[in-house]
Amino acid sequence: MTDLTFLALATVTVASAILALEARDLVYGAAALGITFLGMAGLFFLLDASYVGAFQIAVYIGAVVVLILFTVMLVGPQLGEPPLELRRLSLLTALLVALLLGTAGSLTSAAAFPGPDNCGGGCDLTRLGTTLINQYGVPLEFLSLVLAAAVIGALTLAKADRKG
Amino acid sequence: MPDPITQIIQLVTSTYFLEIVVFPGLISIAILGAFFTWFERKLTARVQLRIGPSYSSPAGGILQGFADIIKLLFKELIIPEGADRFFFIMSPVTALIIGAALLGLIPFAPGVQIANVEVGLPAFLAIVTLSPTLVLLAGWSANSKFPFIGGLRALFQQTAYEIPLWLSALGVVMITGTLNLTGIVQFQQNNGWLILPQALGALLFIVTSTAEMERLPFDLPEAESEIMMGWQAEYPGPLFMLVQGPAFIKLYAFAALFSTLYLGGYLGPAIIPPIVWFFLKTIVIIVAVMLFRSTFPRVRLDQLLRQGWTTLLTLSIVNIVIAYFIVVGVPAI
Amino acid sequence: MVSQGIPEETGYIIFLFAATLALVITLRLVISPRDPRPTPEKKAPFESGQIASGPGRTRFIIQYYPYILMFVVYDVIAMFLFAWALDLRALGASGTVPVLTFMVVALVPLAYALHLAGQRENW
Repeated sequence: MTDLTFLALATVTVASAILALEARDLVYGAAALGITFLGMAGLFFLLDASYVGAFQIAVYIGAVVVLILFTVMLVGPQLGEPPLELRRLSLLTALLVALLLGTAGSLTSAAAFPGPDNCGGGCDLTRLGTTLINQYGVPLEFLSLVLAAAVIGALTLAKADRKG
Repeated sequence: MPDPITQIIQLVTSTYFLEIVVFPGLISIAILGAFFTWFERKLTARVQLRIGPSYSSPAGGILQGFADIIKLLFKELIIPEGADRFFFIMSPVTALIIGAALLGLIPFAPGVQIANVEVGLPAFLAIVTLSPTLVLLAGWSANSKFPFIGGLRALFQQTAYEIPLWLSALGVVMITGTLNLTGIVQFQQNNGWLILPQALGALLFIVTSTAEMERLPFDLPEAESEIMMGWQAEYPGPLFMLVQGPAFIKLYAFAALFSTLYLGGYLGPAIIPPIVWFFLKTIVIIVAVMLFRSTFPRVRLDQLLRQGWTTLLTLSIVNIVIAYFIVVGVPAI
Repeated sequence: MVSQGIPEETGYIIFLFAATLALVITLRLVISPRDPRPTPEKKAPFESGQIASGPGRTRFIIQYYPYILMFVVYDVIAMFLFAWALDLRALGASGTVPVLTFMVVALVPLAYALHLAGQRENW
């Protein structure tokens, strides 16, 4: 049953990702991107990372896709570029990337990440906060700096752009 | 692993299937939706010294909601010129599925819950964030001016209430230390209802969730006196029913979530069964939210955005500080 | 409710599927009444009784754009605060300083952002 669910979710994710790139109407592309994120959230749920899954939906679909949709609608009714022809080079690239990811995936195991977080199947959600604060305290502070820089940067850029 | 057919037969004959289809699943959602439409019209009428719907049955027009459903269902399906058919039809349908998904997460009584997810509270709030996106798509798809303005308003409104909504629910998580909705109810069994320590949080939660439901003080996306029902303006009868459905399901789901988070959910003295307690609390919240509709004037979009990012955000941070001191204790100075 | 050994998530997916199915049936019912030759007026968009003019997707609201940008950035904060809140009892006062720094550093630019967003002539 898990395999079946995984296959269904993976198919939906990949298909909508392709649609997001190839859709002629950009609004459809943005909506397909939302479905891709939804599929990824489903994959997170399947991996028992339900916390990440819930926030994947909230942040990526609730905020990022909405921003993209807004921008696409702002730009107006122009259609996107026609889909690219499938060239031999792009096929080769796709093959290489798939090979690389496949190799990485097969090499990856729990043993590849040694350390105190490797709690196997008994991982408890309630340890998330402790780990975040005690072990990743410094990255957390840098993350807040990134957020601060992002908001000031985005507003300044958008403003300057409007003034011309 | 047993073969799939046996599994399906097992599923259909299980109590779980009954839960999905009858209660708290689909059939009860439809009936309650029809009931709430009547109830709201009657309540608003009482507030405004009118009579309200009264013809559809001897008992004060209680069947009005069902009559409306049947009427709308058999109207002609008119899709306006130049509309994007796919999003025009898919948005209300998806919104209805989202509403059903929300109710699946609520614990109605001990054991009566469709999905007891580990992260019930963030999952609920995350699923809810999808609906402004759908409203925007629906408004865009109609290729008409009022719906498009309504859709954009829904989007801007979301930016104002979303973060205070998450942060007001954060207080509950800080005190209970769990994200599971059943866990939150069980915590309240031992420690009393959370509305007392989290009074500010509860107030913020009900204000922001009213904004999320797009109900009257915050019904900017549909504002019937300004932009003619906003994003719903172009919807023909049958689809209009599908558009109105999620609004009432969301009202029901948010009232249920409020009573789960702050009023102890299904807890109560054992004189009456837990499920009745749950419904009593939920109906009190629903009546309160419906009374907002008949008492408050509509806010303007710029006021809402400004207040959302200043007052509501500040108050929700104050609420976090209160919850922090409740859990950690006030340090001796 | 795991009654007959069905995993919770699977049941939830089936629930969503059933909801979809019910809707499809409803939609099929709905399609029955039809007008073979609708007049152009019937399919025209609503514009308060006026004859519809110009393209429909105009009237853009741009002056509140900064709030969307702010929203996309600050939505992430809740995610980290939830992780901290979940463990508040175990962490006690020890987590206070990192989280307080996190919130102060992230929220101080909000004042500047709100100041910028308030200057309507920029947008």
